[in-house]
Amino acid sequence: MLQRLQRAPIRQKLMLIAILTTGGTLLLAGAAIIYFNVVRFKAEMTRDLETFADVVGQTSNAALTFGDPKTATEILAGVNPRPSIVAAALYDRQGQLFAQWARDRIVQFPPTPPRRDHSQFGNGFLVTFRPVALQKERIGTVYLRRNLDELRNRIWTQALTVGVVFLASGIVALLLSSRLQRLISGPILDLAGTARAVSEQRDYSIRAGKRTADELGALVDAFNDMLAQIQRRDSELQEAKEVLEERVEERTRELQQRNEELNQSNKELDDFAYIASHDLKEPLRGIHNFSSFLIEDYADKLDDDGRSKLETLMRLTRRMETLIDSLLQFSRLGRVDLGLDRVNLNEIVAEVLDSLAISLREERVEVKVPRPLPTVHADRARVGEIFHNLIVNAMKYNDKPERWIEVGWREGAGPPVFYVRDNGIGIPEKHQDAVFRIFKRLHGRDKFGGGTGAGLTIAKKIVERHHGRIWLESSAGNGTTFYFTLQEGEVRA
Amino acid sequence: MALLTKARNISLLLTTLLVLPGVAAAQTAAEYDVKAAFLYNFTKFVDWPAAAFPDANSLKVCVLGDDPFGRSLQSVAGEQVGNRKLRVVQTDSLSKLGGCQLLFISRSEHDRLAQVLAMVKEAPVLTVGDTKGYAEQGVMINFTLEGSKVRFEINTDTADRAGLRISSKLLQLALRIVSAPAARREP
Repeated sequence: MLQRLQRAPIRQKLMLIAILTTGGTLLLAGAAIIYFNVVRFKAEMTRDLETFADVVGQTSNAALTFGDPKTATEILAGVNPRPSIVAAALYDRQGQLFAQWARDRIVQFPPTPPRRDHSQFGNGFLVTFRPVALQKERIGTVYLRRNLDELRNRIWTQALTVGVVFLASGIVALLLSSRLQRLISGPILDLAGTARAVSEQRDYSIRAGKRTADELGALVDAFNDMLAQIQRRDSELQEAKEVLEERVEERTRELQQRNEELNQSNKELDDFAYIASHDLKEPLRGIHNFSSFLIEDYADKLDDDGRSKLETLMRLTRRMETLIDSLLQFSRLGRVDLGLDRVNLNEIVAEVLDSLAISLREERVEVKVPRPLPTVHADRARVGEIFHNLIVNAMKYNDKPERWIEVGWREGAGPPVFYVRDNGIGIPEKHQDAVFRIFKRLHGRDKFGGGTGAGLTIAKKIVERHHGRIWLESSAGNGTTFYFTLQEGEVRA
Repeated sequence: MALLTKARNISLLLTTLLVLPGVAAAQTAAEYDVKAAFLYNFTKFVDWPAAAFPDANSLKVCVLGDDPFGRSLQSVAGEQVGNRKLRVVQTDSLSKLGGCQLLFISRSEHDRLAQVLAMVKEAPVLTVGDTKGYAEQGVMINFTLEGSKVRFEINTDTADRAGLRISSKLLQLALRIVSAPAARREP
């Protein structure tokens, strides 16, 4: 009941309060009025009956005095026109029943009057005993009994009146409260509706209408103030967001432009390197050839010193040629698109090892592949170059009596990671960044089998063209491990 | 002997009748007790004019002729009626009737009733009789017997003319009301 009441709308609650208050008050007032009226009416009835008994006594004192019960009975019968009186009796001086009268024949009269005159309600009747006097001398007792029909009628009439008033005022209270409750519930419902509209439409420009100047009006004002604040903050936020978006867009545009420029300049650089190296090869070939002609055709005219210098010249041109070839190869990587295909890395590594078989045997390096490699999506020839360069690199920089190289891979979250590990001389930490720079060599030209110093740079470039990463772990004297991936993605351990 | 037996029978009868009220022949004593009480009670239902009392402190009851009450009337003598004391006087002489407020006219005065009534005519004296026909002749209250019960008749005319007011309650108890005044019947 209470729960249902709590769920009921304010409108109903207000009306209920009004009706219950009115009803309760009226019921109490009605009960009080009926109660006091009954008490008063009982007293009135008693007084009335006693007065009437006195009149009857006064009228019948002669009959009592002269011992005439017949006349006395006639006098008693004189109460007949008063229908509420149902029985009357006279007792003489000795307390003997002297005369009696009853509306119905079945009335039991008290055999003697009580010692003290009195009136009392009981058994649905009001009875009274009053003295009969003759010249201030008591000569007997009169007894009257009246029914309570009138009392009942009066209670019934009053209850009916109260009931009618109760109903009528209930209806009036209902009508009045159904109109007056709007004074309170109207603004509240307005406010609730506004709040709902604001939260549903996310429109903070809506305002609640103010109708009253009381606390509810103040509530509406406060609510509107709050909405205004929210609206201001919302628009500020919106503005800030727009500015931010604009800025991000601008930055993105700038970055894209910069990237394009970078790509363009990279390409130009590659083009330049290619063209330059291509064009450089021609005169270099000439220098080499003419040096060769000089040694062969002018052998008898050259002394040893001259021959030695020409041989050095030829050696330098050969070296320059390999450098230019490397540069050509490197720059071609930036110019040519990758031919992506499904590539079984086991085959690739086997081919590389085949091509290096003689060197590996001479250098006495053992190559281990602990478990089969996967098949990947990549450019077959280029991936072969990666493994080739890394294995050659690992093979070269090793001064241990027992040399080995391990080619393997590991998988986890992200793309598979391939590695080439050796037990060689290792790379001190301060040089680890430099190893990928083109033509950068950490050692003397003829130490560890020489080379152009382009192998790792080319490997890095191929990895990057596959959108992968290459990195190394090493410490001086403890060997080196090169890691790389062949696709985009963060590598996590 | 027969007479003696008869006398004994009568005395037995008398005793019986005395014990059983309501039997006419034997009620003389009880009847006059009642009548004496009635006489006293009448005074409570009759209003005399103030001038009727030369002595404000007493109400004088006179018995004219043979006194049938014996001691019973003496028993009410001295009773208070309002603030007056009841006094009883017996006389045979008409000349001694002055100062009476209630006059009981005995059966013995039957022959000179008219003369007696003429004496008290229009004087504030309540006349009471005990003889059949007295009321018609002008006695205000006249005892009769209804069976064994003492009743009375009232002549309101003479009472009115005498300036006495008899309570309606007393009239209600009267066996009959006689309103033919003897005086008017006389030629």
